[in-house]
Amino acid sequence: MNEVLLRSENLARAFGGLQAVAGVSLSLYAGQVTALVGPNGAGKTTTFNLITGNLRADSGTAQIRGRPIMGLKPWQVARLGVARSFQDLRLFTHMTVRENVFAATETASWFWQPGGSRARLRRQERAEAALEATGLAALADARAVDLAYAERKFLSMARILAAEADIWLLDEPASGLDLASRLRFGELLKNAQARGVAICLIEHNLDVVVELSNRIAFLDQGRVLAEGDPGTILKDPALAAIYFGDRPQEAA
Amino acid sequence: MIAYAANLATLVAIFGILAATLNFVVGFAGIFSVAHAVFFGLGAYAGAQVALLLVPDALLACLVAAIVAGGLSLCLALPALRVRGEYFVAASLGLQMMATTLFSEAKPLTGGIGGLVAIPRPTVAGIEVNVLPLALVALALILFLTARLQRGAFGRSLQSIRDAESAAEALGKNVAAVKTLAVAFACAGAGIGGALFALHLSFVNVESFTMDQSVLVMAMVIIGGTGTLWGPLLGAILLLSLPAGLAFLPFIPPTEVGAVQQIIYGLAMTLLMIFRPAGLVGDLSKGRATA
Amino acid sequence: MLFLQLLLQGVQTGALYALTAAGFALIFGATRIFHFAHGTSFTLAGYVFLFAWNGGLPWWAGSLAGILVAVLFGLAMERLVYRPIQRHEGSFFTVFVAAFGVAVVVQNLVGMVAGRGFASVDTPLSRADEVLPDVFLAPIFWIAVGVAVALFAALSTFLTRTHAGVALRALAQNPDLLRAYGLSSNRLSMLAFALGSAMAAPAAVLTAMTSGLNEAVGHHVMLISMAATIVGGVGSLRGAALAGLMLGVAESVALQFVDTQWAEGVSFLVLFAFIIFRPSGIFGVAQAR
Repeated sequence: MNEVLLRSENLARAFGGLQAVAGVSLSLYAGQVTALVGPNGAGKTTTFNLITGNLRADSGTAQIRGRPIMGLKPWQVARLGVARSFQDLRLFTHMTVRENVFAATETASWFWQPGGSRARLRRQERAEAALEATGLAALADARAVDLAYAERKFLSMARILAAEADIWLLDEPASGLDLASRLRFGELLKNAQARGVAICLIEHNLDVVVELSNRIAFLDQGRVLAEGDPGTILKDPALAAIYFGDRPQEAA
Repeated sequence: MIAYAANLATLVAIFGILAATLNFVVGFAGIFSVAHAVFFGLGAYAGAQVALLLVPDALLACLVAAIVAGGLSLCLALPALRVRGEYFVAASLGLQMMATTLFSEAKPLTGGIGGLVAIPRPTVAGIEVNVLPLALVALALILFLTARLQRGAFGRSLQSIRDAESAAEALGKNVAAVKTLAVAFACAGAGIGGALFALHLSFVNVESFTMDQSVLVMAMVIIGGTGTLWGPLLGAILLLSLPAGLAFLPFIPPTEVGAVQQIIYGLAMTLLMIFRPAGLVGDLSKGRATA
Repeated sequence: MLFLQLLLQGVQTGALYALTAAGFALIFGATRIFHFAHGTSFTLAGYVFLFAWNGGLPWWAGSLAGILVAVLFGLAMERLVYRPIQRHEGSFFTVFVAAFGVAVVVQNLVGMVAGRGFASVDTPLSRADEVLPDVFLAPIFWIAVGVAVALFAALSTFLTRTHAGVALRALAQNPDLLRAYGLSSNRLSMLAFALGSAMAAPAAVLTAMTSGLNEAVGHHVMLISMAATIVGGVGSLRGAALAGLMLGVAESVALQFVDTQWAEGVSFLVLFAFIIFRPSGIFGVAQAR
């Protein structure tokens, strides 16, 4: 098996009386796409938020390459190589497409970025490459707010590409994409996989899951019920019943 | 007449600095401070004290003023990191009120209501100089710096934070640091404006650093156009020429000129917000740069 | 007995703060408009009362005129300033600047017309008697407290018993209801502005009879209302009223330790502390944006 880049153990978080995440243990491997699958409210996005430090975990741990990350701020987690997308995208709406991607390459919080003009050139190359790979190069000077739906989704991906992270947490990146866009998106993932990026994606469409991922973690009620390769997991009738809403009586 | 024009030009340069720096935090960082006069005042008192107690060296006075105002800008950055929108405006108004009280009460530092008087003429390298060239140089420098910052990586960071703070953070941007730096830069600039102001008038008191002054600077930024480079300067020129223009109108009694001036710019602010929220220079098609 | 004296003084001031703050909170809760010109309603009401009194009108006529002017001003702001701004875009800062501009204009007009500096109405009600050793109390104390209690009782009856009141309250707790239930936002918003501005008028009249008014009093009132609304927790009328009372008492009691000019600073210290440590306020559940 490949190297584990991110590992979480027993992550848990409750909101009031609701146990949103109840002990999620998850490993993300270099060069693998893990799909996080489960019914609505299973705790998928919350798991992302716990890993990235947007939410504080009640208990549990997480490490990046063995380095504990619990208690770190989101920007600190990001600088350890985690890039994430949001279901609602959160683009920098009043900036151009190119500026959106540039901004992803500039992480220093000082008045200027370190490394001088050579480093700037490298960042520019990274940004242009990300625009090229996502098919946005022609739209580079358009403002994010003026983009069409699929273009916005790709802009969100372009930011992640440019950020040069090796752990990607993608929240429903393919939802609502037409076939052509989905193929392009699959291409992006394949290339990243080949570079050894560990990818975790939340996805509802099981066809897309089969198409893109090589591992599945099935979440329900804040727990990982099953983990394994797509073929086995999706053929499990008990999981299918949960996924499609025919919850067994005793669990309700 | 020449003395009058020189005085007006000096004030335009100084208020241009104030408006440009306020525009930086309001237009690019989305931090709506109504307390800019506080940092103007801190710089003025610091610069005046340097000239009174040490040497009347203009550069030293500006440096100390920038450090004092920039350092104390944490008072503004702290609430800016906690809350946004209306809440922050409330906090900055509160800060302005408290500072006005402090300025009039901390007599050993500020001279109280009476202020600091007989500030010596400024010098540069031991030679006595006018404030006008200094103020013009400082204005040019600050306009250059704000333009550089706005167009560069720092400006992009600020705008990205303004547009989607959580996404900026998820890309590794230390939001607290970026905001604090932006506020410190703007307040240090206001401090330099303050030092020049004190050296120019050779007298300062709390009257110049009240909420009215903060509102005046805000009006300059808004009337000129928030988020633009030249708008704030245009706003400063317009609002500072207003009293001179009014003085030529015979039917306004001299005692009421101040009030009429405030009425005019109050009205201008309201009408602009209703009919042209991007300001005079602002590009309407681009939408509000600040929203 | 200085403490008791200051405490009672604080309760009197606080009762008036509570009234204006509740008016501000009512408007903000129902319309999500931070009505920065709320203090201007107060100023106008106070000066109208002052003029009426000096013109020889009875107190109730002056008070009614004050309330009427405050309500008209609130409605005019809603119609002529806030509504057009919200129609085209409506960022909070645009609203703030526009309202602030109006406040500046009115403050200067009042200064030009009525003269600058403090003006007050002298009535037998504001003359203090010694009620306990070294504790002086003017009848106006009881009037202020009584008016505040009566108005809050009336307001809470209105908000719980009438259809419009329930709708206003629902709006304050959940702004999305507006769209979901298709309530007539126009009329509710006007109602909120009318009621909220009216709440400021009695406080203005009583202030004219006690500490007096000046043309810049609106700033102070606006700041206190804002502070009380935030400290009390946005969306909670009770919180705003309680916080207003608390700020009044705190300002007054602080006089035992500091000079008068610092009194206002006490309120802002409280506000600052809340913004840094508990931005959602005392009764607030929702996170500050």
